[in-house]
Amino acid sequence: MADVRLVNITKRFGPMLAVDDVSLDVSDGSFTTLLGPSGCGKTTTLRIVAGFFQPDAGDVFIGRDRVNDLPPHRRRTAMVFQEYALFPHMTVFENVSYGLRMRAVPAAETRRRGSDVMELVGLPGVGEKFPSRLSGGQQQRVALARALVVEPEVLLLDEPLSNLDAKLRVRVRTEIRLLQQRLGITAVYVTHDQEEALAISDRVAVMNHGRIQQVGAPLEIYHRPQNRFVADFVGLANFIEAEGMGDGTVRAGGRILGIHGRAVGPVTLVLRPESVQMRRQLSAGANAVPGRVAAMSFLGTLARYWVDVDGTQWIVDVPSPGDDVLSGDVFLEIPPERIHVLPEGGRQQAG
Amino acid sequence: MAVLSRRLRVSVGDPGLLAAFALVAGVLLIFVFYPAARVISYPALTEYLAIPDQARWIAALRNSLLMMLLSTGTATVVGFFYAYATSREDLPGRKVFQLLSLLPLFAPPFMVAFAYILMFGRQGLITRSVLGLDVNIFGWQGLWLVQTVAFFPYAVLIISQVLDAINPTLEHAARDLGATDTTVFRTITLPLARPGIAAAMLLVAISVLADFGNAVLIAGNFPLLATEAWFRIEGLGDLSGAAVVVSMLIVPTIALFVLERVWVSRRLYTAITGRGSRVPRPATPGVFKWPLLGFCLVVAFFIGIVYVGVLAGAFARTWGYDWTFTFDHWRLALAQGGDHLINSIKVGAGSALLTSVIALLAAFVTSRRRYGFERILDFLAVLPAALPGVFIGVGYLLAFNAPPFVLGGTPWILILALTFWHIPFGYQAAVAGMKQIDRSIEEAAADLGASGLRVLRDVYLPLLRGPFLASFVTSFIRAVTNLSIVVFLVTPRNLVATYSILSMIGGGFWGAAAALTTALLAVTLVTVTLARVAIGRGLRGLPTG
Repeated sequence: MADVRLVNITKRFGPMLAVDDVSLDVSDGSFTTLLGPSGCGKTTTLRIVAGFFQPDAGDVFIGRDRVNDLPPHRRRTAMVFQEYALFPHMTVFENVSYGLRMRAVPAAETRRRGSDVMELVGLPGVGEKFPSRLSGGQQQRVALARALVVEPEVLLLDEPLSNLDAKLRVRVRTEIRLLQQRLGITAVYVTHDQEEALAISDRVAVMNHGRIQQVGAPLEIYHRPQNRFVADFVGLANFIEAEGMGDGTVRAGGRILGIHGRAVGPVTLVLRPESVQMRRQLSAGANAVPGRVAAMSFLGTLARYWVDVDGTQWIVDVPSPGDDVLSGDVFLEIPPERIHVLPEGGRQQAG
Repeated sequence: MAVLSRRLRVSVGDPGLLAAFALVAGVLLIFVFYPAARVISYPALTEYLAIPDQARWIAALRNSLLMMLLSTGTATVVGFFYAYATSREDLPGRKVFQLLSLLPLFAPPFMVAFAYILMFGRQGLITRSVLGLDVNIFGWQGLWLVQTVAFFPYAVLIISQVLDAINPTLEHAARDLGATDTTVFRTITLPLARPGIAAAMLLVAISVLADFGNAVLIAGNFPLLATEAWFRIEGLGDLSGAAVVVSMLIVPTIALFVLERVWVSRRLYTAITGRGSRVPRPATPGVFKWPLLGFCLVVAFFIGIVYVGVLAGAFARTWGYDWTFTFDHWRLALAQGGDHLINSIKVGAGSALLTSVIALLAAFVTSRRRYGFERILDFLAVLPAALPGVFIGVGYLLAFNAPPFVLGGTPWILILALTFWHIPFGYQAAVAGMKQIDRSIEEAAADLGASGLRVLRDVYLPLLRGPFLASFVTSFIRAVTNLSIVVFLVTPRNLVATYSILSMIGGGFWGAAAALTTALLAVTLVTVTLARVAIGRGLRGLPTG
């Protein structure tokens, strides 16, 4: 098994800086996701690991070896492509066993390993079919099997679920995660879907403009984003400009709010919609601000409100709303420990 | 230094790929660039400077350009209306008309001239036997008619593609907004078809300039550049004169070709958009429909008599005098030209196979974008499309009858000349086919351990069987029906059918010539039919949609 280390990787395409001085450690056996909007450099980074692109500067290590000069198939990696990239003129089994044929594995062993891996991904008995006869989810599994059959130490996945419908996406991502844990292999996964990233990863690296904005466990990324871009891209957030008073409080729009820890000078508060509690009456707790409901949207498991507060609009989620609908004047209570404070200049790292 | 050596190592890459690259570059340089350069450099500079003193060549140049304007004009106009008519789904007999306009593409290029001599000449079935006229078809008027009929199918082919791609919804929308039928035609159909018309004009113009077969049969004493080159060699043994003449010929053809490449083909793509869901075209109004049908019938008549004429010629005892049925011409044709026909098939199959293989390999290596000078290879691979057959013929004659490459007297000189003349067709088909295959399929193969050439074998070769077969069939048909190249390169031991037909016509053996032409036509039609069956069988796993 192997870990992956990227050291100061830079990649340009003409005038465009696709990857800008990226360093990242992916520990052995972990599931790490590169998350970001399109054009952020996540796929380019993955392809540099796979060996399809040469970095202009920096080094790629897999295990103990520097692999910059190795072609893709000598890197102990295997890739699952966004469009699956199944060979349309080969049967499913021919697809799956292609990597073994390239490695001149004896026929009997090829058959055994091929059918083992088909079993592993839950696709026994379709080996003689052509990929075009399979459903999207099945094709996805064939692509996964084709990558896994060569027993890579690092599995690379480039938005593998983007062609599936929403329900199937959730099911297959869980399967991929379980399979990765069972095999204990290292996985690097690329997606633009923040929910997907949070759901399956050990660690998430959020990227924008070719740079890594933050690396951390899903909980950390969500609750303690290091800058406004991460807070905004991962989940929904209310941003409130405030002034740190240095005594465990901040002043926001003429109101004093208690926070955890201390902050001095201009800061931005990050408030997740579900962290705010909305009440009709002011209760005993501190950190309450009055507001007025502007709009509501019922989403089943929660009700989402847009509330006007001091000339700005906050998004507030009420979980498990039942039949209760609030309107008019309300009070918003914010537990101090749920307020995340970004220092001013908590802007993203730009290139 | 370290940076340089690292870059070199990275860029050289896969040894198999490098070998393929070197091979493609090598054959293109030897068999495309070298003969072309040889033609241009063969005459001394003083001979080029003396062109204005050669009254006959100046006349030939003027005549060639005149025929280009006349025949291109009529062929494009006829082609446009024919394409427009057959794009209307409610035209009676539409399928038959479409098929008829495709037929000439499978026939030897000189067949129209031959048939029209039989039909409209001094002993013409129509002019003399039916109408009792004494008509001389030889000369520029005859050539104009013949070239119009011979080349309008190219215009139909290109313009039809553009017209079919115009979404019928646009017509519905224009009508919905109050446009009358003529307004729809004038404001929607015609402007959208304009790039197709331009592309068709340029292609037809190049073909007319390069037309050798019709000109040699029907132009009579009317000097033209394409035939003048042959008369120089055949009659006078004047190699450098021929080289000057064909060099004069490529100036306008290359200009037209460049115009087509940089200006029209780009617009053509933007026109072919918005397929989406197809709604049927609105019904063609009667005021349009019946004149269009009449027009198609007239054109169909002119195509039809090409085949009727040659077929009748093969079975009529003495053309113009004795119409009794006979097999004598077939006996003579097969005795004299049977071997040549088999030779044609061998040469055609060999060159078509070589064309398709080299074209596919060339498309593969130029798509790598690895070494930085793929563009030069790309240019060399499409260049022959701009070169008239007579230029290639003279080029191979000059280049491969002297050291370092001596091929004269062998069938190879013929095979290779035809192979490299047809490379652009196979190459462009392969390039287009490759663009349809997602790059990640290739990367997946590479990721699993397939080396450069293995990717070609495992991924592209099976997926490009369709374009490969199409390229093979096109090259084969063009090779067995070619006259403009073979007249320069055949030797008494390596004759081919088209050359025999030309000799038979020249010697007055019209019946035998017609029989051999019919046999040649049968070969090409059987080939096309077999290919259609093969494609119809649904080659396994061809990319669809």
